[in-house]
Amino acid sequence: MARAFRRKGGRFVATLDVGERTIVAALMEQTRTLLAPDVASTGDPLADLFASLERELEAPDGMPRGTDRAAFADRDPALARLLPDGHSGDPQVAAEFRRLTEQDLRRRKTEALTAAIDALAAIPEQVDTVSLDRPQADALLVALTDTRLLLAERLGVRTEDDMSALEARVSLRADELGHKSDDRSEDPLTFAVAVYDFLTWLQESLAGALLGRRLFL
Amino acid sequence: MISDALVEPALPWITLVWNDPVNLMSYVTYVFQSYFGYPRRKAEKLMMDVHLKGKAVVSHGTREQMETDCMAMQGYGLWATFEKDD
Repeated sequence: MARAFRRKGGRFVATLDVGERTIVAALMEQTRTLLAPDVASTGDPLADLFASLERELEAPDGMPRGTDRAAFADRDPALARLLPDGHSGDPQVAAEFRRLTEQDLRRRKTEALTAAIDALAAIPEQVDTVSLDRPQADALLVALTDTRLLLAERLGVRTEDDMSALEARVSLRADELGHKSDDRSEDPLTFAVAVYDFLTWLQESLAGALLGRRLFL
Repeated sequence: MISDALVEPALPWITLVWNDPVNLMSYVTYVFQSYFGYPRRKAEKLMMDVHLKGKAVVSHGTREQMETDCMAMQGYGLWATFEKDD
């Protein structure tokens, strides 16, 4: 049974069994796939910069290839949530900001997701204790945010009202299915919301532990 | 008496953080403390403004500084924008 994060000395410790860790890591993996930079990092910042510049110069109207307007409109809508417009009133300023920041943001987010996935994957299968140092805890906290944003987008949650409506739908579904727990865990929507709630609970406890107190629990 | 406007540099741009249904109150507080180095009270006040009023101005500065702050907030997964402070 999972146990929330708490601070133990300089470390952040929770109890998650291998099944729980696998679900968290698999969702982070999906988020990472979506967010991977268009220009793959070579590990050499200078080479990355040149690759980005090259893409930019190839573009007819100053927007990098792959983020031109037609391709942009065709993008996965979840990307609009994970990489939102930086300016709400001026599309030109928003486009310029995106051109300057998107690849770097994708790289930063991908790095946090990779650090979090690696920290979970390094734990032997039979061990249930997750013990993170500060950089790993920070990475997991940010990785959980992007993963929850993606999951919420897939569940159609864009406003507080959407969230309430979704919760109402799931509890109605639970009433219909009665208390046969097998049926409930096989219902995809019920399962997805349960996973979302699990990630929320995990992130809340980790944020609380990082802040040094249990907030809003 | 010298007015503040004369001694303080002009800070005509702002970074805004908007409310969304996913980001947690504790996490938003953590981000404001970690990135801006704001004391807990100020971080919590800004977080409550985002939560209750729908948005909060989290920093002032030059356009370049606000682009940096906006990008950092987006890096944390917050819904952030920057604009000229009119």
